[in-house]
Amino acid sequence: MDVVFQDFRQAYEEGNGYDLSMSLSPIAPDSQPDRLVNFYRSTNFAHVQRDFKYRILHDATSPFKLPADEGNGWVEVYHTYWKAVGEIVNAEAADGNASYVKVYEAWKEMTNVLIRGYTNCNFEAWTVPCLYVAGKYLRVFAIKADEGASSANGASSAKNFQDDDFNPEAEKNEKLEDAARVLNKVFQTCLSDRAPLEESRKWGIYNIINLLFKTYFRLNSISLSKNILNAIQAYRGDMPSLDAFPKAHRVTFKYYVGVIKFLEESYEEAEKHLTEAWLLCHKDSIKNKELILTYLIPCHLLTTHTLPSLALLKPYPRLQKLFLPLSRCIKKGDLSGFDAALVAGEDEFTNRRIYLTLERGRDIALRNLLRKVFIAGGFEEAKDANTALVRRTRIPISEFAAAISLGSHEVMDTDEVECLIANMIYKNLMKGYIARERAIIVLSKGGAFPGTGV
Amino acid sequence: MSAAPAAGAALTTKATTTDKSAESTKDAKPAAALEEDDEFEDFPVENWTQEEAEVPGDNTHLWEESWDDDDTNEDFSAQLKEELKKVEAGKKR
Repeated sequence: MDVVFQDFRQAYEEGNGYDLSMSLSPIAPDSQPDRLVNFYRSTNFAHVQRDFKYRILHDATSPFKLPADEGNGWVEVYHTYWKAVGEIVNAEAADGNASYVKVYEAWKEMTNVLIRGYTNCNFEAWTVPCLYVAGKYLRVFAIKADEGASSANGASSAKNFQDDDFNPEAEKNEKLEDAARVLNKVFQTCLSDRAPLEESRKWGIYNIINLLFKTYFRLNSISLSKNILNAIQAYRGDMPSLDAFPKAHRVTFKYYVGVIKFLEESYEEAEKHLTEAWLLCHKDSIKNKELILTYLIPCHLLTTHTLPSLALLKPYPRLQKLFLPLSRCIKKGDLSGFDAALVAGEDEFTNRRIYLTLERGRDIALRNLLRKVFIAGGFEEAKDANTALVRRTRIPISEFAAAISLGSHEVMDTDEVECLIANMIYKNLMKGYIARERAIIVLSKGGAFPGTGV
Repeated sequence: MSAAPAAGAALTTKATTTDKSAESTKDAKPAAALEEDDEFEDFPVENWTQEEAEVPGDNTHLWEESWDDDDTNEDFSAQLKEELKKVEAGKKR
């Protein structure tokens, strides 16, 4: 136990929150593989309270002094930490078959005691990284506990089958849902701090929000994230601006807000947040950059109609597989190829929740196909050599129809073609009007396909 | 006491191997694996400089236009004419 309390005291004297939080880690560092086991064995249930109290409050060999309430608060924290470590050591000894339910419960107790430390025992704001560690592993242990429970349920499901009340879905995430409630308490503890900003727990807020977002996403309760966003919006006057937070907190936050906006189909806002995340993200965090791009690429397709370049996708083989076939078909105006690529990637696109967005890229493919017809139409015969060349802007519908049947390998009625073109015009992907009686499309002389240079 | 470190080391190695096997079983179930995949990873550090967020030479040509004028239009015009003939022929029949 000495090592743990040495670290505690040193971190406390230096006011180093991250070092302090490491003394509450549930994972032994590589340099001290026996740290947890030794810590657990260094005392027992009968003496732990007295031992820790002595180390934290009454160690005469150290000049270090803590106020009684604060000190007693930490004694409780380390006491519950010790109990949790005991469960972890047991679970690890059980060699994979262990249930993490007890670990989760013990870790939750520690987290709750830690929260009380802030509300009742005057724990200082610089120690908030302890809440990060508590929250991070609360989630991890909840997920492990639920995984264990669902495999145990699988084994006994036959027995439970006749029980009408048995609902595997509701039980599947029992602990994780519980963890979300505890994390919400942590969130409130940070948000409601009235201390001046320089010594406020509000500096912990985005780290905790990110944990909540991750939890809600995993629980498929993404709408709950909105409550969090509303809460910080309400407090925004009393909060440090996001720019003042560490980049790790900002990038993660921007990513999740971007995805939330994306799922709400607010693509322009989504693009803004995701671009910020992209620009701030650490260059070596390939996995995270890949995740950001997974949503940023469909955003770009819809907002600015741009596609990722090969250079952009180069470091991400998975994204190449995901987006290159579609990109190629969009560029070529290959409608049937586009449909085939969409079907081929359907499972992956659906899992990433980008299918519906990408599907809308078909409009861009069609636009490009119709644009090719326009360009293939060439120029009007010049009246004299001095006037600039003008593209042919009256184009028979049959030419567009032929192009569409080329692109989609199916023949369409003129009505259907007109309908597609009317849609293009409505979406401002094409400018002009349909002259039905003459069966031609009259395109605008100044920019028939807005934004594409013709 | 002398046995404790060795036992401890065995425990932690066991723990990491069970972690790994748990992950690989997750990979076997595509749905769970994807959930795992979707999760934004913790950064190894809290903060970094703007230089560390930029890949040198990364800011050029990241996004390109969605149309392609390079695949010469001659080809397409010919195809289009061919198709038009086919459609016309189909109509007359």
